[in-house]
Amino acid sequence: MNPDDQPLTAPQVGELVKLIGQTRDVEFDCSECIAHVGEFAETQLEGRPLDEALAKVEHHLTLCPECREEWLALMKILEASV
Amino acid sequence: MTQTEINWPDALRATDRGEQAAAVSALRDILQKGLRVALGTRDDVSEAHIEDFAQESLLRVLDRLYQFQGRSKFTTWAQSIALNTAFAELRRKRWQDVSLDALTAQGERMADPAAMPDDLFGAGEDRERLVAALRKSIEEDLTPKQRAGILAELQGMPFDQVSQLLGTTRNAAYKLLHDARRALKSRLHEAGITNQDIQSAFNV
Repeated sequence: MNPDDQPLTAPQVGELVKLIGQTRDVEFDCSECIAHVGEFAETQLEGRPLDEALAKVEHHLTLCPECREEWLALMKILEASV
Repeated sequence: MTQTEINWPDALRATDRGEQAAAVSALRDILQKGLRVALGTRDDVSEAHIEDFAQESLLRVLDRLYQFQGRSKFTTWAQSIALNTAFAELRRKRWQDVSLDALTAQGERMADPAAMPDDLFGAGEDRERLVAALRKSIEEDLTPKQRAGILAELQGMPFDQVSQLLGTTRNAAYKLLHDARRALKSRLHEAGITNQDIQSAFNV
C-alpha cells in the first residue's frame, strides 16, 4: 500500500485508542451537552463542584472537539464580561 | 433596569410590541458582542459574518425559548446557542468539499490488514496485541458507516459535517460513533486488554 493511501497514521490510531479508553456505556450526546454547557461554564468560573449531570458534560467535552471548542469560546465570553 | 435584572423569557414574549422589540434588540446586541469576543480574531470571520451569525442565533434562541430551564443565566444559555450556530457554519464551510464517496472508500480501507500493521507503534508485545485486536474489531464489528465515521473523526472532521455526509443528525452521528467505540472497547476487553493496559501501553 502506498504510504499516501494509508487511511490511518500512528497518531490517529493512538487517538482512537485514547478515545476507546475514555468510552463509557452511557454518555451525554451533543444536544445534552449544549443544554447544560452554560451551567457547566458558570459553575467552572465560580469554582463550584460538579454534580452528576455536569460531570457528564465534562466527560463529553473530553471526547467531542466541537463541543469543547464551543465551551472554550463561551468561557472566553464569560471571562470578558466578568 | 440592568441586563441581569431583565426577565428575558418574559420580555421576549411580551405582548407589548415596544417592550418585546426592545428586548429583541438588546439580546441581538449581547449576542453580537459575545461573538465578536469569541471569533473576532479569526481570519475567516468578518464583522458582516458576526452580524449574520447574531441574527441567525437570535432567531434560534427565540424558537427555543421554551427549552430554557433557568439552570444558567439566560444570556449564557443564549450565547451557547449563538456559538453553536456560528461554529457549525464555519465548520461547514471548511469541510464542504469532502464527499461521502471518498470518505466511505477510505473507511473501507481501514479494514485492510495493511492499514494497521502490528508494529505500527513499534515493537512490544502489549502494543502488538492491542493493535491486532483493534484491527480485527474494526474489520468484524464495525459497519461501513461506523468505519467511515470513525475515520472522519480521526481526520478532524466535525460531527456536524459527518452527520451531513451520512444523512443524519449530529446526535445520531455521535451515537453511531459512540456505539462504534463501545464495540471496539468490548472486543479489546474480550481479548484481555483492559483500560489499564491501554494506558500503560500508550501512556494515555
